[in-house]
Amino acid sequence: MVLCLRSCSHGLFSTSRRCFSSVRSHQEDKRWPGWQIIIGIEVHAQIKSRRKLFSETTVPLTGNLPNTCVSPFDAAFPGTLPRLNVQCVALATRVALALNSNIQSRSTFDRKHYFYPDLPAGYQITQHYSPFAIGGRLVLPTEAAVPVRIKQIQLEQDTAKSIFDPRRRETLIDLNRAGMGLMEIVSEPDMRSPEEAALYVRSLQGLLRAVGASDGNMEQGSLRCDVNVSVNRPGLPPGTRCEIKNLNSVKFMMSALSSEIHRHIDILDSSSSVPQETRGFSEQTFETFKLRSKEDAPDYRYMPDMNLGTLHITETQIQNIRETMPELPDITRSRLQKQYSLHPRDVEILLALDAEKDIPFDGETGGPSSAGAVRYFENICQDHGQGAKEKPRDPKVVLNWIIHELVGQLSARHETFTAQRVPSSWLAELIDMVQGNIITRTSGKSLLRHILHNPSEESPKQLAHKLDLIALRTEDQVSSAGTAPPAGDMDLTAICRASISQMPAEVVAYQAGNVNVLNKIVGHVMKTTRGRANALAVKTVLQAMLDGN
Amino acid sequence: MCYAALGTDTGGSIRLPASYCGVTGFKPSYGLISRYGVVSFADSLDCVGVIAKTTKRVRTVAEVIMVPDARDPASASHALRSNASSHSPRLSAAHLNGLRVGVPAEYFPSELATSVITPTRRVLSALQSLGATIVSVSLPSTPYALSAYYVIACAEASSNLARYDGVEYGLNVTVQRTRSGDTATRSYAATRTQGFGAEVRKRILLGTYALRADAFDNYFQQALRVRQLVRDDFNKTFRSPDVRFMESPPAAAPDQPDVDIIVHPTAIQPAPLIEDNAKQGLDAYVQDVLTVPASLAGLPALSIRSESSVGDRRGWPIGVTIVGQWGSDDMILRVGEMVEMSLRS
Repeated sequence: MVLCLRSCSHGLFSTSRRCFSSVRSHQEDKRWPGWQIIIGIEVHAQIKSRRKLFSETTVPLTGNLPNTCVSPFDAAFPGTLPRLNVQCVALATRVALALNSNIQSRSTFDRKHYFYPDLPAGYQITQHYSPFAIGGRLVLPTEAAVPVRIKQIQLEQDTAKSIFDPRRRETLIDLNRAGMGLMEIVSEPDMRSPEEAALYVRSLQGLLRAVGASDGNMEQGSLRCDVNVSVNRPGLPPGTRCEIKNLNSVKFMMSALSSEIHRHIDILDSSSSVPQETRGFSEQTFETFKLRSKEDAPDYRYMPDMNLGTLHITETQIQNIRETMPELPDITRSRLQKQYSLHPRDVEILLALDAEKDIPFDGETGGPSSAGAVRYFENICQDHGQGAKEKPRDPKVVLNWIIHELVGQLSARHETFTAQRVPSSWLAELIDMVQGNIITRTSGKSLLRHILHNPSEESPKQLAHKLDLIALRTEDQVSSAGTAPPAGDMDLTAICRASISQMPAEVVAYQAGNVNVLNKIVGHVMKTTRGRANALAVKTVLQAMLDGN
Repeated sequence: MCYAALGTDTGGSIRLPASYCGVTGFKPSYGLISRYGVVSFADSLDCVGVIAKTTKRVRTVAEVIMVPDARDPASASHALRSNASSHSPRLSAAHLNGLRVGVPAEYFPSELATSVITPTRRVLSALQSLGATIVSVSLPSTPYALSAYYVIACAEASSNLARYDGVEYGLNVTVQRTRSGDTATRSYAATRTQGFGAEVRKRILLGTYALRADAFDNYFQQALRVRQLVRDDFNKTFRSPDVRFMESPPAAAPDQPDVDIIVHPTAIQPAPLIEDNAKQGLDAYVQDVLTVPASLAGLPALSIRSESSVGDRRGWPIGVTIVGQWGSDDMILRVGEMVEMSLRS
């Protein structure tokens, strides 16, 4: 226990809150000409740990009944004490590393006091005086590559949920969420438009998911934003900022910002000054409304939490986390382009698909459910299975099969991609059969459809035989392969011969010089073979037969 | 009535009653006995301790419960405990030769009743007859300890008692709904006004004030600084280090003799009379003046029974406290036992 908590951190936060980056030149926005907008964002992200921040309680999953994931500590039962969940620290450290934040070797926890029914202890444990990570940056993926500086990242407890029942005019409390681990990521006021704010939140979401630290899902409440905005004339000092609390979608955040910017401009145009306020956002009117003024701002009476003492994070621990954390999206992006010579557009599609994977608890790796599209793709490209001596699979072909065939058919079935739906070894086998002309591409697609529709233990190869999908071969192919075609199969040469004999009029037309009519005969063969023949091979055989006559 | 009793001691709640009632009261080093299950008043000060007729009994109970507990984040590890005891002086079973005993001048304030001075002398002569050396020491921050203690304890209490708001815990006083919609706020106010007694309300208000943004630096922060001074005073006086803060030991004071234990009266007077109790104001707080420094520093303190032999309270029990360095609990219990034996014989 170190009790002299504040003296070491003092001075760190004495810099002005509004020391915005003035390096960027002002860019005129048609929506509000002659005004500069300055935006900062606080993001609260739930940490994807199986347990709460200071108790052994398992966190609630969708479908858990209210007040069933609660330990005495979460309910602030007298006599209980907190115990820090180190997994939460490790996951938050991943985020700090990904944001290039300065991880503090010593940080402390503080109590933030206010009375509210969803706060059973009457205080929230947070890191006010001495957060565990300070500084950092997130570069927005725009052409200008706008850097947004990170002020600090702190660990804190989530509150319970209060649900107002209008019928009974009662507030109901669900303690399931109480005490879950949150990280609060505070940006500097470096954004200049609602679009940049949206891009910041989306990029941060992607980063949180990529490092496995949070689901980052705004709809489900695992990521929430408070934004602050001010308006000023370019070149003049920043205006008074207002904070808009608890925005739970990027769309609402952008609407709230636009509404707030126009409100500020209206006030400033009428030569009044904007009062400093905390505001809410109405999802009905798409406007912000006043929650409280600066004078009503609560005094949270921050006090060091005497139970938890100092949180030490050693250089060795940081190094371990750095080495075991997942690859960051930027690195994956350039690696995929370089290693597999993929088109940037295809890489983006694969990364977007990968971003939808489930985030495992406590940063666990392995386990099929945590494998995303990138791992799936690389498994097929690299794992040669039985054909290890053969040349590696063509990454572009593999990617096409994943993006167009597998994901295409899944979305037609209203399903999303998961790595375990069709095991990567199966798709690999299927691709090999198509590439090796054992089945046609058309048959390959039908085979995939069959696998999705009729889940079974049979491998694609077994199914191809069972479903009579093996490609028909010509006499020459059969004799050069040295293996007999499956029993009952005619060879392709015989089928072509039969078609010619059934279509005398077309044969005459072709021989009279109407070359296009050949396609009709090809179509007949294809119909007869139900897609088991390669159209190009059929055309060659037919041409040889007809021209040779 | 019983063999021994457990109690909690935040600023003297084991040692003072023990002194007044003529029994042994022991507040161990902070972090040696788990606080899990103890309703928190002031987390950084709260200690579980033992009251019994003799030190021998106290030790029998304390030895069982002084073990690490993962459920208390402030519980000291095995390693820290053994490190501390390795720095404690080895005692012989027969005598206390070589033990250095400090008597702090600041613990004999003007408020101190003469009836508590002779009992302290009795204990000191018992120590001397056992072979210990008595020296005078100075703990200069002592006069500020009481104010710092009240700021810290009340601030922590205001935080810890916030949960008794009528939602999950405490009374629930229902208030009339009004149009203004501040039903919850008014319900909190009514619940907490009615549910807490006058003294508790006073302390909560004091603590709430000390934590306000505009008062924090002058009150809470200042109190933490005084607390560090109190801790430094002890560390400069004890021969062994405080193993909790080995990284940053305070500068040694060359003119200060190093001691193993400090001895002082537990209270400034024998048990107050009921009729005196009614008219006291600030006096009730002043009673803690001698017990809070060990609480602020988290040090073990053992109050043993002595007796007043002078004045109108002749024969009344009076406690004399033995304080040791953090983690020297075993040593001070053994010293206490030997002194008790010597006083009885």
